[in-house]
Amino acid sequence: MMDRRAVLGLGGAVAVGTLLAPGIRLLAAPQPSSSSVPNKTEALATQRWAMLIDVNKCSADCSSCIAACREENHVPMFGDADRDIHWIRKVELRDRERRKPTLSLPALCNHCEHPPCVHVCPTGASFIRKDGLVLIDEHRCIGCRYCIIACPYKSRSLVYFSTQMPIGGNPKIPIRAKGVVEKCTFCVHRIDEGLQPACVEACSRSGGGAMLFGDLNDPKTEISQRVKMLRTEVMREDLGLKPHVHYQGL
Amino acid sequence: MMRLREVALYRIILMAVVGVLCLMDNMPVWAMGAAVPQLQPAQDKPCVRDPAWMRRNHPEFLRQKRDLTVREGVRVRNESLARCATCHQDRAQFCDRCHQYAGVDPNCFTCHNYVHTP
Ligand code: HEC
Ligand code: HEC
Ligand code: HEC
Repeated sequence: MMDRRAVLGLGGAVAVGTLLAPGIRLLAAPQPSSSSVPNKTEALATQRWAMLIDVNKCSADCSSCIAACREENHVPMFGDADRDIHWIRKVELRDRERRKPTLSLPALCNHCEHPPCVHVCPTGASFIRKDGLVLIDEHRCIGCRYCIIACPYKSRSLVYFSTQMPIGGNPKIPIRAKGVVEKCTFCVHRIDEGLQPACVEACSRSGGGAMLFGDLNDPKTEISQRVKMLRTEVMREDLGLKPHVHYQGL
Repeated sequence: MMRLREVALYRIILMAVVGVLCLMDNMPVWAMGAAVPQLQPAQDKPCVRDPAWMRRNHPEFLRQKRDLTVREGVRVRNESLARCATCHQDRAQFCDRCHQYAGVDPNCFTCHNYVHTP
């Protein structure tokens, strides 16, 4: 008899515990880490992230943006030109008719206003975030590669091989599982912390300072003023995709 | 008379047993006395939600966080997937051990790093 009472008593205690528990937090959430980044940040629909590249400041022998991108995002190289992943690359531009000197410039995802990659994605993995970033939700990507074909800028790559965390690799960036598509994110994890993309930072630190990044919707930012005042161009404007990577001095 | 009382008693016992069984659903695994895996105790307190709630609902919690973070751009840093490792240090002795016991195999860690950073 005593035993049974004890069991019932225990049952009652557990019942109270579970009634209190779901949804109700008796204890405060742990405090954020000591860094200056607020614990909670949110993308704003009023923002429109964009880049401006001053081609005259970009030299053919500099590739610090690419190196910085590879390091920040540990973008894998498999040693196979067909399978290597590129988030940003240097391209050479030759205008034979007008006999202008060859230009060297970085090309990366344009984060278009009307991205064809998003349009063709069958699972909704490719999407436009509130603040204009075109991103891939890798959790939904099935690796069909429609987007790779749809992108006129060749900005996307399929991950052919799984990777391990490189020594000293950035822990904020997940490693790769094969069978998903990836591309430049404008370093979304850095933007969300109020930082510039790694390529832009590297370009101003050890490159020619050719890259400028900011909010195009904010009239106070340097990029919005320069895009408004200077003659800037985008790649393949005729396609009507409204890219958000602008070039100056083409 | 005797029989009626006996029946009533048995009924109460039955209800009690059913009640306890129902409650066991929400009990910590160790309280059920089954041969459950020993999980590594957390290094710090408290969990991002009530532990009993987390035991049942962490898959849903993580999925919701995932969509909120990736698609809506809302980052809550002390509740991110990476942060679980600050308290649940060793994945093999916490997440994996329980998942093996439960027979589930989430593929999250083919991509996500689970590194303990104190
Ligand atoms: C600040 C420390 C802390 C963080 C961060 C944390 N937890 Fe916990 N968690 C705890 C504590 C304390 C317990 C209670 C059990 C214990 O003491 O070991 C617990 C319990 C749990 C349990 C139930 C385990 C059981 O015994 O049945 C699960 C599941 C769980 N946590 C998942 C997570 C997940 C998923 C994350 C990341 C989103 C996370 N926790 C982050 C501290 C933490
Ligand atoms: C107390 C046991 C327990 C612990 C500890 C635990 N899990 Fe789980 N987890 C489960 C069970 C059981 C399921 C299956 C739930 C279902 O299918 O409804 C599950 C499912 C999941 C899923 C969803 C899988 C899917 O296919 O949808 C994820 C993600 C997950 N767990 C992550 C974690 C992480 C990360 C940790 C460690 C921080 C952890 N779990 C610790 C028991 C546990
Ligand atoms: C194909 C690789 C891949 C797989 C598999 C994967 N993720 Fe992710 N996950 C990512 C990438 C990439 C991000 C974006 C990281 C960022 O923006 O910081 C991400 C972000 C997240 C985030 C938000 C960031 C954070 O740290 O809180 C959560 C939560 C998350 N994933 C949960 C999961 C869960 C749960 C699973 C397993 C059911 C899973 N992921 C499986 C690649 C993957």
